[in-house]
Order: sequence, then structure tokens, then C-alpha cells
Amino acid sequence: MTTLLAKRKVAGAPVVNVSRSRNPLNGLLARRWVRGTIIATPILVLLVGFLVIPLSIVLWGSVEGSKLTFSHYARIFSDETNLSVMLQTLKVGFTVTLLSLVTAYPVAYLLTQIESRALSIVTLFILVPLFTAFLIRTYAWMIILGREGPINNTLIWLGLISEPLPLLNTTFGVIVGMVHVLLPMAIFTMYSSMVHIDHNTARAAQILGAKPVQAFLRVYFPLSLPAVFSAGILIFIIAIGFYITPALLGGPRDAMITQLIVTQMTTLLNFELSFASSIVLLLMTIAILFFASLFIPLEMIWSSSSLDNTNRHGRSQYKLFINAKRAIHPALTAVENLMHFITKPFLSRRARWLWAYTILVLLFLTAPLIVVFMLSFSSSSFVVFPPPGISLQWWVKLLHASDWHESFLFSVKLGAVSAIFATIIGTMGAFWLVRTTLPIKRALFLFSLSPLMVPVIVIATALYMFEARIHLLGSFAGLVVGHVLLSVPYVVVIMAAALRGFDQSLETAAAIHGARPIQVLRLVTLPLLKPALLTAALLAFLTSFDELLVTMFMIGRQTLTLPFKFWNDIKYELNPLLSAASAFVVLLVTAAILTTLWIKVRHDRRTSASNGQ
Amino acid sequence: MSTSLEMKKIQKWYGGLHVVRDFDLYVDPGEFVTFLGPSGSGKTTALKMIAGFEQPTGGDIMLGSRSIVDVPPYERGIGMVFQNYALFPHMTVAENVAFPLKVRSVAKAETEQKVRRALDLVKMGEYRDRFPNQLSGGQQQRIALARAIVFDPSLLLMDEPLGALDRNLREHMKIEIMRIQKELNMTVVFVTHDQDEALVMSDRIAVINEGRLVQVADSNNLYYNPKNRFVASFVGESNLLPCRVDQIDNGAGKVTIGDREPGVARLNGQSRGDSGWLFVRPEHIDISPRGANTDVGNVLNGVVESALFLGELTRYVVRCGNESITVKQQNRGQAQFANGSPVSVSWNMGNSTVLN
Repeated sequence: MTTLLAKRKVAGAPVVNVSRSRNPLNGLLARRWVRGTIIATPILVLLVGFLVIPLSIVLWGSVEGSKLTFSHYARIFSDETNLSVMLQTLKVGFTVTLLSLVTAYPVAYLLTQIESRALSIVTLFILVPLFTAFLIRTYAWMIILGREGPINNTLIWLGLISEPLPLLNTTFGVIVGMVHVLLPMAIFTMYSSMVHIDHNTARAAQILGAKPVQAFLRVYFPLSLPAVFSAGILIFIIAIGFYITPALLGGPRDAMITQLIVTQMTTLLNFELSFASSIVLLLMTIAILFFASLFIPLEMIWSSSSLDNTNRHGRSQYKLFINAKRAIHPALTAVENLMHFITKPFLSRRARWLWAYTILVLLFLTAPLIVVFMLSFSSSSFVVFPPPGISLQWWVKLLHASDWHESFLFSVKLGAVSAIFATIIGTMGAFWLVRTTLPIKRALFLFSLSPLMVPVIVIATALYMFEARIHLLGSFAGLVVGHVLLSVPYVVVIMAAALRGFDQSLETAAAIHGARPIQVLRLVTLPLLKPALLTAALLAFLTSFDELLVTMFMIGRQTLTLPFKFWNDIKYELNPLLSAASAFVVLLVTAAILTTLWIKVRHDRRTSASNGQ
Repeated sequence: MSTSLEMKKIQKWYGGLHVVRDFDLYVDPGEFVTFLGPSGSGKTTALKMIAGFEQPTGGDIMLGSRSIVDVPPYERGIGMVFQNYALFPHMTVAENVAFPLKVRSVAKAETEQKVRRALDLVKMGEYRDRFPNQLSGGQQQRIALARAIVFDPSLLLMDEPLGALDRNLREHMKIEIMRIQKELNMTVVFVTHDQDEALVMSDRIAVINEGRLVQVADSNNLYYNPKNRFVASFVGESNLLPCRVDQIDNGAGKVTIGDREPGVARLNGQSRGDSGWLFVRPEHIDISPRGANTDVGNVLNGVVESALFLGELTRYVVRCGNESITVKQQNRGQAQFANGSPVSVSWNMGNSTVLN
């Protein structure tokens, strides 16, 4: 047994090492800053070249360059129509945010309490609507809210009203549609930070004598406030930059700032005014983010698990809260007692009430998709719900509609190319952001998320002007750049979270056992990051697959993408062919999500808990 | 397998912190050397410098006849077992063990043969197709060991490899590691803060404190002839009584223990009038009823402060003036002393040393 491992040795050095010559590439890669520069370059070029510079051009253009005139800004605020659009934007944004938060909170709370199988089922019901194109969901609401839609039909059938209510083309329609679009986001954003709150704190409060209501209000709820706040900020920012839903569900008086910009840009050709409007929208967003940054670390809005959870915020902001709370304390106690009295009979079965509520919310989220599905099998040639009979005619038509096929294939191609670039650039960026030792790490991380902070319409106008200058406008590459820019932050967030949880001793172990840096990456690091890479790529693909605004500006004379095709057809007429196409996309999205989840679960089962039983 | 390792005047600074100072150590081919020290003593940093994860600030490291300071880790040809094993969770046991061969482009047939031998050596042959998370901690430990030796490394490093195991498993793995080391005649550098591991397994132990090599010796010498107070208290249990050398007499010193009791002990280079610590192991001290006749050099009177019956032995703490003296007495049916009993403790001059 002493010659167990063959002794092939020359003067103490193992033979296996002698054959390998020193590769100069590996020598170079061993230097930290060289590696840092290589992986940082793509994302920095993308962000500076296609976001910072275009935005500067817009800013410069809004004051007519060196003329430095603020007349266009003055016009926004003096013109009554423009001003009312502004106010409408803020009003809708605020209402939608509030409604989404209130509706989502109990669901997020329930999600933190249930075990994993129920969790994955509920999650799936929320994920599918989340990743189904805005357009498809808005289309569904156009049907549901329409004069002969299911709501009006039911109310008439019940005899509650005699003629259809005007639901479509109202502010009500806009708000319902937007809440539906933003609700899944609100649930997930809140859940992802609320899941870190220990439910034992509330239990401890109860064993110490707090009534259930008190335990919730005084312990759990305050702990969950940062989660609620960050979700609120996220939703408000997205809401004020919304285009599709208000344009389709709202009336002429429901126009929001985005529509104003699009109209000025595309039909009135009033560029300076649209620049100024864009800058106003951007400034509003920045102001909100600044306000938010006083209370929470900004990166929490987009990635709950990011950075270390050190509370580097001064407590001074909270003093105000505390004083206010002290002042209303007697009232608070009274309210608590009242609530305790009211909720006492229900609370013993609280989880069930939460479940019932959650199922209602899930119904609200999935109902539009079901309507679309049923309509796709309609025997009628008009959009009527419920369909008078069942037929496959629209699916057959879809099978032969070559324009839809072209759009679909083009969207897939665009999505795939964008996803590949976004995943590569974003992953390299995430490596750099997580492993760099630069002191401005946190600022850099926020900068990499900047495409999420800038309203999409602003990115669209800025890129439009910039790409026209560098003659990229209307080309496939130009479109890809736009889509990559929008999806890179998602990749960064996902990959950064995965890398922070990555056990770096695995890389050291690989290195000492002979793997060169490239081999470490290929054999150890990347295979372990596979599920995260897959999720990131899927998210990037879906971002591109759903994208409308940037596409509208950049597409030029290329084949229409699927969302653009939808958009054109919806505006032209509602027909069940759209339902068939939508249903098909929903099926694809569901399949993609399920596949990703399955791969992730399989990978996790294999690799998790690698230390011990 | 067996290559010598030499550390020459190794220094490591982290900013203004001098974490490794003047390491001078020669490890013979096939020798098992343990770095023993409290956490933060610099032992892991020293190991990282041998592995190549840290660059020494000064000095040189020779593996055989070759300086490896400028060689990247992946070209050093060293095997290493990590504290948390660091098994690749996405690879099977066999793939994990084959990894060092795979990255060296070793032929398939040879890889297969070596992997089988390594797995057989750690008695894990039948687990080759499992994933690491399907194994217990001890099994993962064996796989980590197999992976570290499969490519005939010139040196094997082990970074507190037994720390995560429960006690029984740890005892078992100690013996397994020693068996494998002897079978392969491998040079091993083992890092631990556990003195039992160090005493049982090592040919020589390098005690490290505050970045310095305090004493390098075999287990026996380290235990019975500690070089200073730190080693005496870190390795095994010991009594350290403040004392002053009164008179030197043929290598032995007449000393005053505490402030009045006379005693005799071997000297460790002290001269007359020096103060130091009189070192004596608890098992070298006899305990008897007060006044019993003893003719050994050191006798102190005291009172039993606590008595713990541990089965094979009884552990007494005896208060003598200002000092508490720990005594371990083998139980061979003799009478036990209750708390508060007046007793005398005594020991031979040969079993005690004056340390600085």
C-alpha cells in the first residue's frame, strides 16, 4: 500500500506540474486591477455611453444648448393643459401606489408565514401575471371593463343597473389597470424584505402581554415599514412613468406626462418641449428617490438582500416619528382596544381569513388572463364575453397569420440577443461590484441600477436623439442596445445577490488543487451560479419581450415586435385573434417560468446544505 | 509525497499589523508538523502563505529545492483540506476527487485509477456517485482528504479540518489521518487550536503566539519541557506559581514560592534573584493528609477548596495561602478528601521547572 499513488516524481516536484508552461494571460489575470478593469468595462461603457451621455444631450437640448433658455420649462408650468397633465400624473401615481400597497400587504404577510410548497404555488400565481406583458393584461381589462364586458353584463343581469356603466376610458379604468399591473411587484418587493422579519418578535410581544392587534401594530408592522416604504417608492416611480395602461384604458382627460411626451415627440415634433417634459419627469423621480434615501438605503428598493445590513442611517429622522407617536399615544391605545374588540372573534382563525383574502387577490390577478384564454376559443367574430360558443377558429387563424409569426420570431430573436448581451454584461458587472474593494462600491451599485430609476420614456427619448446622431437609429443593433440597457440592472441585482451568497473558499480550493483562474471560472464558479444565470437571462429576455416604449422609438422600418404589433392592432380594433395570440404568449411565459423554477429547485436540492446532513 | 518545506524569515504585515514574525521552520520530508496556537495567532495566515493565497511581506518559502513565493497557488502542487471542506456541491464525489487531475489534463484511464485508489484509501469507494450534500460531515471530510491527496501533492495542508466534526468522529478521523499520512509518507502541515489533536497526531508541534514561533518540539518535550509560561498554559493543564530564585545549586534552584514557602525546581537559564513561574503539571502532584511524611523537595500545606470525582481520577483544587493548586490524582481505591480537609501537596524537584 505504500506505493498506492504512483510515484512519478522528479526531484521533489510533481511531474504533472512540469509539463505546464506559464501562460502570460494567466499571469496578467492574476493582477487584481487588471481583472477589475476587464469586467467593469462593458457595463460602464453601456451606462455612460447609452444613458449618461444621451441624458446629457436631452438636458442640453431642453435649454436649447448654449442659449440656456428656460422658456420650455416655463411653458410646461404656465400652460394649463400641461399643468393639469402633471397633476393628473401625480394623482394617479399616488392613488395607484396606495391601493397597491394596501392590497398587497396582507398577501405579502401571508407569504412570510406559509411553508414552502404552498409558497411556491402562490408565487407561481403571482409570477405568471407579473411576467405577462403589460399589453396583454391591459388588453384583458379593455374587454372586462368594456360596455359589453363581463362586469357590465353581470350588473345588468343582476338588475342593479339598467344600462352599462362607463368604466373604460375613465380614471377608474386607468387605476384598476395599473393596480393590476403593479400589484405583483408590490407583493414581491414587500415580501422579499418582510421575509427577514422574525415572527417570533410578535410572538414574544404576545407572551409578554400584548394583545394580538398590539403585537402586530407595535412590533411587526413597524419592523415591516421599510419594506412597505421601499415598495411604495418603487411603484410610484413606475406609475408616474406609465404609458400603455393610461393610453388604452383612460380617456382624453386621463393623459399622463408620458403620453404628453410621446405626443410632442411623435406627432407635434416639438422636441424641446418634450425634452423639458422628460427632464421634469426625471427630476420628479430624482426628488422622490432623494426623499426615500433619507429613510432607507436606496438599493433596498430594487434588491432587498443587497449589501450588508448595517444601519448607517442616523436616527434623527426617526425622532420626528417618535415624538408624533407619543403625542397620539392615548388615541392609539383606544384604537388598539377597539380593533382588538372587533378582531378578537376572527383572530383565532386568522390564517384562514388571510388565505381567503389572498385567494381573492390571486383571482383578481389571474381573472384577466382567464378571460383572454376563454375568448381565444370564442366562436364569435367579435369580442363578446362570455363567448357564445366554442371554436378553434382563432387559433387556426393564428396558425396562418404570417404577420404574427414574423413579429413573434423577431421578438424572440431580439429577446434572445438582448438577453445574451445583458446577461454577459450584467454578470461581469455584478462580479466587479461584489468583489471590488473600491470604497465607492455602494454608489457604483446604485449607478448600475440607474436604468431602473430613470423613467422608461425618458430613456426612450434620450436614446432616440442619441442614436439618431450616431446613425444607429432604426437598426437591429440600436434596438438591442436599448433593450440591454433596460434589462442589465435586473441581471446585476440577481447576480450580485447570488455572488454575495457564494462560498469563496470553493474557488480557493479549486485554485490550490491546480485550477488556473479560467478553469476555476469554467468548472466551479459558473456552474454553481447556473440557476441565478438562468433566472437573470429569463428576466432579461422577458423584459425585452414585453418592451414597447423604447421599441416604438427605435424600431425604424424593421419588422414589428410582438408588443408593437399588439399595440397597433389593439388601437385599430379588438378582435379575438389578439386573445389567441395573448393566450399563446401566456402559455409560453408560464412554461418558461416553470422550467426555470424546476431547474432551480433541482440545483438547490443538490447543492444546498452542503455542510453536513 | 515527501518533499521538504522550509520557511525562511517569513514576515507578514497587514497595514501596520505584524501578524507573522520571523518564521524560521524546516519541515522534513514525510514529517507531520502542526501549527498550534490560539485564534488570531497568525497560524492560518502562515498556512495561507504556504498555499499561496497570501504573499509574504518578507522572507522565502522553499518547497524541496524550489522557491515558491512567486508561484501562483495552482502551480504549487500542494494538496489542502479546508475547515469547511469546500467540496464542490455541483459535482459528485468522484468528480470532486477527480478535479485536481482534470485541471491537469491527466488521461481518463489514469484519472479513474487514481480516483479509485484515493477513495479506497479513505474508505469511501461506494459513495462515488453521491453528491456532497448527501454525505455526513465525517464523510465529506474523507472526500476532502481524498481530493487533496489524489494527485500526489508534494505537501498536504490541513486547516483545522476536524473543527466541524463532533467529538467521536474527531477521535476517529485523527487516527485515520495519521494512518493515511504514514501510508503515503506525506509531508503534512496541520493547523489547529486544539492541543489534543496536536499532541496525538504530530511528529513536531510549532506553538505560535502573537505571530511568533514560540517553541517547536515533539509532543513529549512540549508537554514536559515547555519553554515559557505561554506554552505551559496553552498545552495541557498546569500550575504556574509565582516564585523567586534564591540560590543556584548544580542546575537546580532553591526558590521561594509565593512569598514564603521554600521549594526546589529545575532552572531554565535564570540566575539568582530572578523571579519567574514555578511550573508543575497537576498529575505530578501528590495529595496527602496534613502532616504525613514526605521526603520530596516541595511540600505545601493547604485546604481542599473543591474536589471533582471524575471516575479514573479526582481533580482537587487546593488553596495554599494565596495560590490555588490543581491536583489530579489517579483513583486506585485510596481515600478521597472532602472539601475543607487540611492537606499537604507535594512534588518532586524533577517535575517542576522555573519559567519566565
